Amino acid sequence: MNARSDRIALLAVPGLAFLAVIYALPLLLLLFKSIQGVDGLTLVTYIDFFSDEFNRTVLWRTLRVALLTTLLALVIAYPTAFAMARAKGIWLTVFLVALVLPMSLGVIVKAFAWSILFRSNGFINTTLQTLGITDEPVRMLFTETALVIGAANVFLPFMVLPIYSVIRQLNSSLPEAASSLGATPWFRFTRVTLPLSLPGVVAGSAFTFSLAISMYVIPSLIVGERQQTLSMLIARSFLYLRNEPLGSTISAVLLVIAIFVVLFSSWLAGRLGARQ
Amino acid sequence: MQPKTTEQDQKSHRYLDVVGVTKSFKGTVVMDQMNFRVAKGELVSLLGPSGCGKTTLLRIIAGLLEANTGDIVLGGRNVSSLPAHKRNISVVFQNYALFPHLTVAENVAFGLRARGMSSADVKAPVADVLALVRMDSFADRPVSALSGGQQQRVAVARALVVSPDLLLLDEPFSALDRKLRETMQIELKALLRSRGITAIFVTHDQEEAMGVSDRIAVMSNGKIEQFAEPSVLYAQPASPFVMDFVGLSTRMSGRVTAQADGIATVETGVGAVRAHAGYTVGTMVQVGVRPELITPDPSAEMNQIKVQLNDVMTLGSKTVLHGISSGEDKFLCELSGIRTGYARGETVTWGWAVADTLIHEVAA
Repeated sequence: MNARSDRIALLAVPGLAFLAVIYALPLLLLLFKSIQGVDGLTLVTYIDFFSDEFNRTVLWRTLRVALLTTLLALVIAYPTAFAMARAKGIWLTVFLVALVLPMSLGVIVKAFAWSILFRSNGFINTTLQTLGITDEPVRMLFTETALVIGAANVFLPFMVLPIYSVIRQLNSSLPEAASSLGATPWFRFTRVTLPLSLPGVVAGSAFTFSLAISMYVIPSLIVGERQQTLSMLIARSFLYLRNEPLGSTISAVLLVIAIFVVLFSSWLAGRLGARQ
Repeated sequence: MQPKTTEQDQKSHRYLDVVGVTKSFKGTVVMDQMNFRVAKGELVSLLGPSGCGKTTLLRIIAGLLEANTGDIVLGGRNVSSLPAHKRNISVVFQNYALFPHLTVAENVAFGLRARGMSSADVKAPVADVLALVRMDSFADRPVSALSGGQQQRVAVARALVVSPDLLLLDEPFSALDRKLRETMQIELKALLRSRGITAIFVTHDQEEAMGVSDRIAVMSNGKIEQFAEPSVLYAQPASPFVMDFVGLSTRMSGRVTAQADGIATVETGVGAVRAHAGYTVGTMVQVGVRPELITPDPSAEMNQIKVQLNDVMTLGSKTVLHGISSGEDKFLCELSGIRTGYARGETVTWGWAVADTLIHEVAA
């Protein structure tokens, strides 16, 4: 570190100050509330939270939905990112617009659009029945499946873009070198392209998982009270139950999971990066 | 001006046979009916300026680019319709294209693993070839930790370990500094010779091409201008382009004013120049001579021109005299050792043997 790069580091001060006041400080106050008992500090809210089976069900569901959302988004995003990385000119623009434009459409609009699609007399059920695949309408709205599909749809850009940018930057002579060394397309993909694109996969998955684990609007609109998630429990604690210690406790649990995801993905990215 | 080839030569040159290859990009023909033959064990260079089609030809031979028409026959096998991974043609890329997520040994093992060999079976051949390029002590290093010369050695080892039928090298020395480049050229040439590898180098550097190859194909605008041994290219360039691209020259344009006894007399801006040639009087030609064949002290029967000196460069092993050029006419004379007594602006007489004059017809 010389004097010049020290001065450049000063450029981070406004951002750090902003985060400290608007993000870190309220979060600390919140965490403090979760351990603030009537007479001194206590962990009783945590014990209460984890001893309630309903809470454990919600916690497990939240993790499961976030994981499935991440996996579904990854399966759809990877080939998309691949095609985008190879796209040129107008096609690249089409891809980017198709990806980014839906983000500007509010989740509420999307959720109501999905309900038209998913409901018992909606498009999917009518089609299934017309084709004779099912006799009875399949229940889709208010299910976990619908939630995972909806969430994967909303968070797809956060999975596609990191993978796309990594594949885009891959040296194009690497797959060519693999081919000239006798590698079949499959061998080439599994031994060269896939491992080199993993940093993008890690980044995209971390984004998507973090977003999915803390989502509130999407589950509220798609599954409502039937399949609650941690964020909905937090909102209920603060808004309806006026139970600030409980809300703070659940927030702390969510925060610990988020921190774990961030640390794990940085460790994974660092490990992948170290080899390159 | 190419040396006469017997039928035997024609046959033996047919290890790699590129027949009538045509390639166009977006409607623009960049290569038209290319024919190109290489003998087994031969080291050949494709030499030309950027955009001349040399890399296109290399990529077509490798199978990384598809030709519109034409055939690539290698060792009697028509590989035209085979994808790159079935051709058994290794490529050393300009940036070496080493796999950044693999170690040196894993990079070298890649081609053998792709051919289905187990990780235990590849150990011995990988160790052998790494020893061959003196990189055995780096086997477990990540490739990012290597210098340019070391990366090139690994790239060569990786390409050779699979015993390719043909080795293609795309500007393999361009990323190395000048001194290292010469060392690597000598090393690589010896290595390829000792293993009997047939190799094609693509380069824009004529010194490099002359240093590493048995024959050089000089390319321009998607065509081979001349395909010959380095000495022939230099002494008997087939066109003004080859004369200009390969080596330095003093050259001037003029008109044939007399033709008698197999000697053409050309009137140029700096005097009459004679050459062994047969042209009709009035033909526009370019005459030239290699700078080291010029003497500042010509005898009477030599061609003689008057040149005004623009610069005198004392380089130690040689002294280079630059005349003032006019248009496309360039004047250059190389004298061995250190010469004194020349001054800028001075007009001098240069001469050379009539037999050393190079002459080509040019468009009027």
